Amino acid sequence: MTPPLLAPARAASVPQAPFLGLTALWIQITGTWCNLECRHCLNASGPRAPWLKPLDAETIRRAIAEAESLGVKEIYFTGGEPFLHGEILALIERALEVAPTTVLTNGTLIDAARADALAAVAARAAYSLEIRVSLDDPDPSCNDAVRGEGAWAKAVEAVRLLHARGLLPIVTATEIASEAGPAAGGLHARFRDFLQAQGVDRPRLKFMPVFAMGRQPASGETPLTDEDLEGFERSTLQCADARVVAAGGVYACPILAGLPGARLSRGSLVDSFRAAPLYHPACVTCHRTGMTCRNS
Amino acid sequence: MSEQLGEYRKIAVLGGVYSNWLALEATLADARARGVEAVFCLGDMGGFGPHPDRVFPLLREHGVLGIQGNYDESLASGHTDCGCGYTDPRDNHYAAISYRYTFDNTSTENKAWLGALPRHRRLKLGPHRVLMCHGSPRVINEFLWESATPNGLLRHLLDRAEADVMLCTHTGIKWHRALPDARHAVNVGVIGRPENDGRTNVWYTVLTAGTDLEVEFVPVRYDHEALAREMERERLPPEFAETIRTGWWTTCLEILPARERARGKY
Repeated sequence: MTPPLLAPARAASVPQAPFLGLTALWIQITGTWCNLECRHCLNASGPRAPWLKPLDAETIRRAIAEAESLGVKEIYFTGGEPFLHGEILALIERALEVAPTTVLTNGTLIDAARADALAAVAARAAYSLEIRVSLDDPDPSCNDAVRGEGAWAKAVEAVRLLHARGLLPIVTATEIASEAGPAAGGLHARFRDFLQAQGVDRPRLKFMPVFAMGRQPASGETPLTDEDLEGFERSTLQCADARVVAAGGVYACPILAGLPGARLSRGSLVDSFRAAPLYHPACVTCHRTGMTCRNS
Repeated sequence: MSEQLGEYRKIAVLGGVYSNWLALEATLADARARGVEAVFCLGDMGGFGPHPDRVFPLLREHGVLGIQGNYDESLASGHTDCGCGYTDPRDNHYAAISYRYTFDNTSTENKAWLGALPRHRRLKLGPHRVLMCHGSPRVINEFLWESATPNGLLRHLLDRAEADVMLCTHTGIKWHRALPDARHAVNVGVIGRPENDGRTNVWYTVLTAGTDLEVEFVPVRYDHEALAREMERERLPPEFAETIRTGWWTTCLEILPARERARGKY
């Protein structure tokens, strides 16, 4: 039998993830506006002229109301740094009327007064308030080499303040500072020991992979193909049940918020309820690691 | 796979046996004494406790109507993982020990019995249309905690299920929410381990039909010290026996939302 002269053409279409329903609503509240400028930031957030603008309170309130009618299970505020937003406390309180709410923060803007205010909001709320504080290494110099001078001390203080008020923050780390690669087991134990030594007797931890985007050099990885996804359950990808409201519309996932290729609607959440294109090299990381930006 | 059942006035519903055959015996005796018409179990017969095969004769002898939990599905399918839905490495470490022990000590016949259980059950409790599930109606291992399950989600799930009452378990901590539209969601708790409140008893639920639904959480005391000693003899982790003896969870903690976590000791 003569072999074909040409190899079969690769499918030209971008693979897609199905949409099952809205479980997690993400709100990119401050866009890419942040008081830190971390070396590994996946959306290159920083203090100067954010490329993705913050959201106004009205847009956020509208999204929360729509999400409630669609049966959302949890709400997340991210950025940028959410505590730079002038109405963050009122918006957290509003979100907590609808669903358990998580704020992803670098912790540097949480002083005792703000921790008190958050504890009061949490105590009044029907649902759990979760605060996720980013810290990349228990060692101050390793952490600050990635996150900037002084970031470690402020973040650790925020964790102490929140824990002392019973808010039990989730410390969120990437593996970048330790250069530990996938050895999360060792890093996990180091973080647990460190937090317990700080008096945090119920340490809660979440680890995230480093994404080769934003302020990190691109990996040059080829985007996913349908062939790559054969036998893989696409409904396990977070874009199958999450949507992100950010400047410019509704996007498929928190990693890609603000990128035109990931925009699924310019207006309502419900208009974004369709399959998401797995077009970006970051989709390779989600596929490979099984990661989710959610708390668990 | 679901099953349409008949109409009842008063039923007992328990969840998460977790091989705690001593608590199961005590629960069944208590439920019969209350005059319930039927006893239902929302799955996860094995895991955590000792001698998993001891629960099956009790379930059969008392005619308990079961559905599959994630543990049951995994055991019946020969999976290498309990499918509990944990994401933390420490939680997964203990889950793996528990699953391996349970898998190795559950007979082929009992695994097949678990495989034949339905995923959902529907029934009428007086005028109320009831849907029973393990985690949630949509995902077998979805965690529905009291502090992390919004009313909007419950309305959505009840609408889709065309039900007035949803009964679930999986988290290990009971709760009841009466929605403003008179529909109900009940996490019936588990009888396999105490619910992280420093007490050694476990809980099941009695539901009684009326114009509104009556939901009663029933505490069950049993010989927890005997169970803890059996766990030690079977060389299960000492952390498991500690939970049975103290009522405080020592493992599988990272999945708890902040509010439920703050109520525990660890």
